[in-house]
Amino acid sequence: MNDTKLLEVRNLKKYFTLRKFGRKSFVRAVDGVSFHIDRGEILGILGESGCGKSTLGLVLSRIEKETEGDIIFKNKKISGSLKLDKQTRRDIQIILQNPYDSFDPRLTIQDSLIVPLKIHGIGENTSDRREIILDYLHKAGFEPPSAFLKRYPHELSGGQLQRISVLRAMMLKPSFLIADECVSMLDLSVRASVINLLLDLTSMENTSMMFITHDISLGKFLSDRLAVIYLGKIVELGNAKEVSENPLHPYTKILISYSPSVFEKKEKIKPKEILSTTHQNIQRGCSFAPRCPFAKKECFEREPELFEVEKRHWVACLNYKK
Amino acid sequence: MNPILEIMNLTVRYKIKNKEIHAVEDISLLVNKEEFVGIVGESGSGKSTMAHAIVRLLPPNAYIKNGRVNLLGYDLINMSDEEVMKVRWKDFSIVFQKSMSALSPVHRIDDQMMEAIKLHNPQISQQEIESRLDKLLQMVNLPKRVLKSYPHELSGGMMQRVMIALALVNFPKFVIFDEATTALDVVTQGQIIEEVRQLVKELSLTGMVITHDIGVVNELCDKIAVMYAGKLVEYGPKSDIIHNPYHPYTKALISSLPDFIKERGEFAGIPGNLPDLSQLPKGCIFAPRCPLADEKCFEQVPSLLRNDDRQVACFKVKEVKT
Amino acid sequence: MRKFGDFVRRYFTNPYGVVGFAIFVTLLCFAIFAFYISPYKPNALSEDVLSPPSYKHPFGTDHLGRDIFSRVVYGTRVSLSVGFVAAGISALLGIFIGAFSGYYGGIVDEIVSKIIDSFLMIPIFFLILIIVAIFGSNLFYIMLVIGLTTWPSNARIMRAQTLSLKERGLVKIAKSIGESNIRILFSHIIPNGMYPVVANSALQMGGAILTEAALSFLGLGDPNVTSWGKMINEARTYMSFAWWTIVFPGIFTILAVVAFSFIGDGLQHTLYPKLSGVESE
Repeated sequence: MNDTKLLEVRNLKKYFTLRKFGRKSFVRAVDGVSFHIDRGEILGILGESGCGKSTLGLVLSRIEKETEGDIIFKNKKISGSLKLDKQTRRDIQIILQNPYDSFDPRLTIQDSLIVPLKIHGIGENTSDRREIILDYLHKAGFEPPSAFLKRYPHELSGGQLQRISVLRAMMLKPSFLIADECVSMLDLSVRASVINLLLDLTSMENTSMMFITHDISLGKFLSDRLAVIYLGKIVELGNAKEVSENPLHPYTKILISYSPSVFEKKEKIKPKEILSTTHQNIQRGCSFAPRCPFAKKECFEREPELFEVEKRHWVACLNYKK
Repeated sequence: MNPILEIMNLTVRYKIKNKEIHAVEDISLLVNKEEFVGIVGESGSGKSTMAHAIVRLLPPNAYIKNGRVNLLGYDLINMSDEEVMKVRWKDFSIVFQKSMSALSPVHRIDDQMMEAIKLHNPQISQQEIESRLDKLLQMVNLPKRVLKSYPHELSGGMMQRVMIALALVNFPKFVIFDEATTALDVVTQGQIIEEVRQLVKELSLTGMVITHDIGVVNELCDKIAVMYAGKLVEYGPKSDIIHNPYHPYTKALISSLPDFIKERGEFAGIPGNLPDLSQLPKGCIFAPRCPLADEKCFEQVPSLLRNDDRQVACFKVKEVKT
Repeated sequence: MRKFGDFVRRYFTNPYGVVGFAIFVTLLCFAIFAFYISPYKPNALSEDVLSPPSYKHPFGTDHLGRDIFSRVVYGTRVSLSVGFVAAGISALLGIFIGAFSGYYGGIVDEIVSKIIDSFLMIPIFFLILIIVAIFGSNLFYIMLVIGLTTWPSNARIMRAQTLSLKERGLVKIAKSIGESNIRILFSHIIPNGMYPVVANSALQMGGAILTEAALSFLGLGDPNVTSWGKMINEARTYMSFAWWTIVFPGIFTILAVVAFSFIGDGLQHTLYPKLSGVESE
């Protein structure tokens, strides 16, 4: 089992401090998250905005430092410090939501793509690297590839630029790729080209992927396993098909019932109304309890732990017995 | 059939630098009483421009080249600005997407709503205003305290509900929802869609829903109009369009929804990019990206084939069955 | 580099920018071609003492019979050099200190911020005055001192730019790719963030010229150099009956400051058209 485990996360926390009029409060963006990812696996991270999924991605890619917790990558602890050795740095890559924000507007595509190759010593010289880039551009469907080298980011469409983001990350052949809402800003008809490229390249290199999204149908389509996040905690984790067709956690049930679908209208499971959506510093009990239509008295007192309810299907909810 | 809105040959252009962008090209559309028509399209389709043209809120560099809009008996295109101001927000209104920037940050919600009421009802008493505000808030499921709040104190969902209440403030007959739920969470979006459905019944509203999200249209609308690069390519009852589309663009759009994909590997998009809208091609605007296009498609513009309320603009479609 | 053409084109649509640039180019020509333009040597004495403007002496002569036009022309060199060097030092220091401080943050950033705030509160001119009075008034020294006391306003701008650029996706990705912090600073942050500093530097050039003129006027300028300020200072005794001794150097001083001010305006318009009330495209 240990050989296939690429990444292990134990009780990961990332808190942001807010200082308002002298009083300190915390935003618990990531609040005790534990899971693992196997080699070549695609783990979907599903949640709405503000649930901490993007922060999780930034912490795992070592761009942000965690507040607490362990991250073990290829049997080596990488948490504790943001410094990574070159090999590990190359091995973990990230793609962000807005392609236009991910590129230096002053650099041509060639300039932007050559940098990672140069830093990690891929290719002997500039013309060698140019060839490598052209090859990847061709693979990604850019015809003729050389025409795109001299372009600037703002001259490309969102879909094109995001595909180049994928190339930039995958040229380094990382073992682990984090894709943070990478198609959310793109038109429907364009998403496929980015997703297909992503799937092609990651399967070719056996790259594990953490696919962060708020779109359930996309998450279900792409992922092997799916983790549902609410206010910084994983509330459900399991096989993607299982979780989306047989959701156990009340939040997952509500989420799925509300996701707009082109099929027949589903019966909506209504959450209880709470009128503030800011992170309430829930001290005791389940963080979802205030909105949960199935909440019991116990739910406001004890915090549920993630445990295996059905085979390989984990839920953090007191309504289920071990 | 009682048309509340009749759009005839509407053509809208933008002047940018020294080019003219053909944003909306010869659109004709009908919306009957108590019908909700969804306008579906991706970026560059012109759907939002069309909405703004109907309510005469186009930016200064846009102009209506041609066409007529008949809304509730008003010949909106040929009316002067003053005349339009008298009826806009009284008999018809629009809910925008960027609610944050549509509300004044330094005025309280009740002040802003009162202003809209008083503008069109100069004789109204304070008491009537207050009872109306109470009723409106009830309709959109907002607590009374929202009235005394400032925009920045409200969550995204609450703001959007305020925008809807504001649009309904003078009980219009026709409302346009311009990407009104796009920036919201799935659950909030779902709740608002339900509330709008309720309102439609209560107020006998007729409406137009502009969106790129086919799932939203499925929940809210009776008919769907598909726009591409400024043209209307297909129109018809909702389930027809979704489950039995005629136009190649509609087909491709529907099949790019993850909902419709059984297995990985079938995720298809539409290759290519939007055409340059400053230079319309000779033939069908979709031809360069269409898998079925032949010579004729590049030479002539297909006219709208009509059968009852089912319309398609495509040479490859021989017959339209309802 | 393609953007440079657009930049230039846009710059010249702003009337202030055009005028400022035109004046600047004229002054630059005066400075470079001083030898060819001025009819006399700037320090050549003559017997035509305090003679009014005439065909022989277009700007008249001063109390030592020196041709004022020639002196003004040569004085351009002093003023422009002071402007460039002082503003250049200020810009370089401001950019580096602001960028490094803003990027790395922490205690260093807190200290630097306090320094910046303090400097912005002190009347800089008096500080310069005191330093020059104590340590001497060699021209290069004056340029240095001006540069060393005016960098905080540039640093403040650069620091603000850095703080905002730091949060951009491109910096996050750069880290993910493995770019070193130094590389990120020099490749991404400084090149993308320095434009407002450039606009501010144009204004600082005018300020530096004025400062040097003021120092010279107060007798603290470099005694070996012909500067407009020195000319104005020397003309004080004679100005009531020989207006040309003070007016011409005065006009040129104003012209130089105005030119840079307009150039700063033009740059501001080019870089941030929305701020200047121009309709967005």
